[in-house]
Amino acid sequence: MSSIGTSLLRRSIIVKETLIHKADPRTKFLFFLWISIWAYIFYDYVLTTIFLIGIIILAIIGKILKRILLSVAVIVLPWMALGVPILSVLFPWNSTLMYKIEIFGWQIPFYYEGFAWGLTWPLRIGVCITSALLFYLTTNPANLIALLFKLKLPFRFIYAFAAATQLIPLLVDEAGTIYQAQLSRGLRTDVGIIKRIWNFLILIVPLTLSSLTKVQIRAIALESRGFSAPVIKTCPYDIRFKNIDYVFFIGIAIATLIMVYVYTVYGFSPIVHLKQYFISG
Amino acid sequence: MFKQEVISFQNFSYSYPTKRNVLIDINLKVYKGEVLGIIGPNGAGKSTFCKSLNGLVPHFYGGSIKGNVIVAGMNTLEHTVAELSTKVGIVFQEPENQLSGLALTVEEEVGFGLSMLGFKKELIRERVKEAIEKFGLKGLEKRSPFELSGGQQQRLAIATIFAMKPEVMVLDEPAALLDPIGKYEVFSTIKELIAEGSTIVIAEHEIEEIAYLTDRILFLKEGKIISLDNTRNVLSEISKLKEAGIDPPSVTELTYVLEKELGNKFDQYPIKLSEAVKLYSEVLKIK
Amino acid sequence: MEKGEEEKEVIPTGAKILAIVMIPTIAALNYVGGVIVELTKAPIWGDTWATILGTLISGFWVGAIGGFLYNIIMALTLWGLPAWVWGTANIVIAFITWGCMKLGWTDLKKPIKLIIPCIIFGFIYPIYTTAISIFIFGGGPLYKPLPAAVYAAVLASTENFWLANYVQNLVTEIPDKIISFIISLIIVSRIPKKFILVRQRS
Repeated sequence: MSSIGTSLLRRSIIVKETLIHKADPRTKFLFFLWISIWAYIFYDYVLTTIFLIGIIILAIIGKILKRILLSVAVIVLPWMALGVPILSVLFPWNSTLMYKIEIFGWQIPFYYEGFAWGLTWPLRIGVCITSALLFYLTTNPANLIALLFKLKLPFRFIYAFAAATQLIPLLVDEAGTIYQAQLSRGLRTDVGIIKRIWNFLILIVPLTLSSLTKVQIRAIALESRGFSAPVIKTCPYDIRFKNIDYVFFIGIAIATLIMVYVYTVYGFSPIVHLKQYFISG
Repeated sequence: MFKQEVISFQNFSYSYPTKRNVLIDINLKVYKGEVLGIIGPNGAGKSTFCKSLNGLVPHFYGGSIKGNVIVAGMNTLEHTVAELSTKVGIVFQEPENQLSGLALTVEEEVGFGLSMLGFKKELIRERVKEAIEKFGLKGLEKRSPFELSGGQQQRLAIATIFAMKPEVMVLDEPAALLDPIGKYEVFSTIKELIAEGSTIVIAEHEIEEIAYLTDRILFLKEGKIISLDNTRNVLSEISKLKEAGIDPPSVTELTYVLEKELGNKFDQYPIKLSEAVKLYSEVLKIK
Repeated sequence: MEKGEEEKEVIPTGAKILAIVMIPTIAALNYVGGVIVELTKAPIWGDTWATILGTLISGFWVGAIGGFLYNIIMALTLWGLPAWVWGTANIVIAFITWGCMKLGWTDLKKPIKLIIPCIIFGFIYPIYTTAISIFIFGGGPLYKPLPAAVYAAVLASTENFWLANYVQNLVTEIPDKIISFIISLIIVSRIPKKFILVRQRS
């Protein structure tokens, strides 16, 4: 998972010029928030799957399908693979029997409520993950920073966010170098738990020391270049809405009206009619 | 020759919160267009001297100070580091660590200081273009600053400062962590700045380079001024330099040793190779 | 202020900008912690240790914001919107660390005093993460086999959804938080004092 994350931050994919890439980052960010919220409003695995399919279609248009599917495969599917069987049998609010399976002479009942729970929650998270990736992988880093400026966030936050995303791949590289150096000094990974924790320590200490030294130097360099000047900082990037964004907005508006209608008339589980569970006890 | 005073240290002493007497009774003036070199052993106060020019000392670190430092008409005690950044630009010795971390490209890094000061985009673009062309960064504009070599990163740092058009440029051991090619790139850049009449203060261990670059040298040891004179005079004080653990230029030391061994008396010691060639050619002719 | 030969004390202003630069470093170190865990196969998550370290070095706000920023980045780049909620868990971690610091429970030379923070991190903090697991992530088994097995066993024997989630969280959080806490203390004991901006009570 971390390797996926690092390569995402490195943006090893060549940025393409698709309709999705051309859309304003504000539009994509809005979509990311919008669909994630709807995934949580509805408790319906069919509807959530429809949301997911919608995002996958957009991923196909954006030519980032492989990355999206990889994340789904690494996170969502294993989650479902464990959640569905366990909860189908053990979910406390199980009541609707689907079938029984015989295992080693035992009749194991599988219930619908647990099955639905085990299916719906990973799908919800899948919608959230894929919409986040759709946003991030199709947004140029410069536009991402421009988005933060447009959102009128405090400059210090913008700096912290941008600096963190730049620092991460650099620190990962440095960690790799330290790891190689330690390997050549006899570090082994096929060892017991205590030794593995010790290995973690001997890699993290030099990395931390080096990072802290850099903090001091970077701070005085920033200060020397007017970082603390009490003026409005100039954003070097510009983003403007284009036609594709207006199409997106119209689409989102229409979809919102439909969702509101569906929720109002058919409730939070319009297709599969699941029940709400009060997990207070 | 140099008339307009740009820097003035007036009985300046400074102690960090955790270390006393890092600079003691510093009195000097630097004039417009002058290049002042700072030499001294480790712990002499060179970096502290450099940082006192843009207000990092004392504002960033705190501590206690006596006296004043006036730079481009601004008392560093009465102005913030941000205000002083328009007058003094400083380049540090670590190429990568002084990058902003915000800029995604070389272009943006060059314009970083101007962005921080709220300059308009058009002006930033103009100054960035000028700085990029001047410091040999053409073709690297769209690269990430972190992908550059050490020498390129230092040139980038100099370009960033240059774009802010300060009255004084301070270079705190700019070539210390660079390979020979990187050093060459940086010193070539500095020579170009000097040729244009920039006012520069440069702290360096590379005495051979200092001999070529500077008009005057400030020799510091344990926070005190040992010598403040023109470059030739300071670098000719062989015994003082040796005592402080500083190697003088090779040609200077050679002449000094020869003077002792052969009993010859030279009018002045050469500090540059060309001077040594000229001197020894004459000496050999006589012989 | 008077000019002249009198020595003047100047209040440093560097702490603010050091904090601003420290925050992304904490976020990045949290991230890299996870990468190093993968390399060394250490039995921890490794992605909150820098929150603890940042709090020990620079105080509650820096640790909390740095940790929160890490989760924002993860939310935007990989985990999606709900992941930002884990940022609040990082704030809780920073708060616990800060509290332990103030009460003098962060001295490696007095290991007895480390027992209470370990109990807080290992058993009280997971109450909060259990709430997040249930309300934001559905409270099902994790996608890792061992915690999932523990979850299933507890749920089967007690039929208590909360307890199953809590015990599942214990399995992951006890080793991760306690080890992260100790590692951070070890690192702080080894770094030069000039890097430490907060006063530590022993």
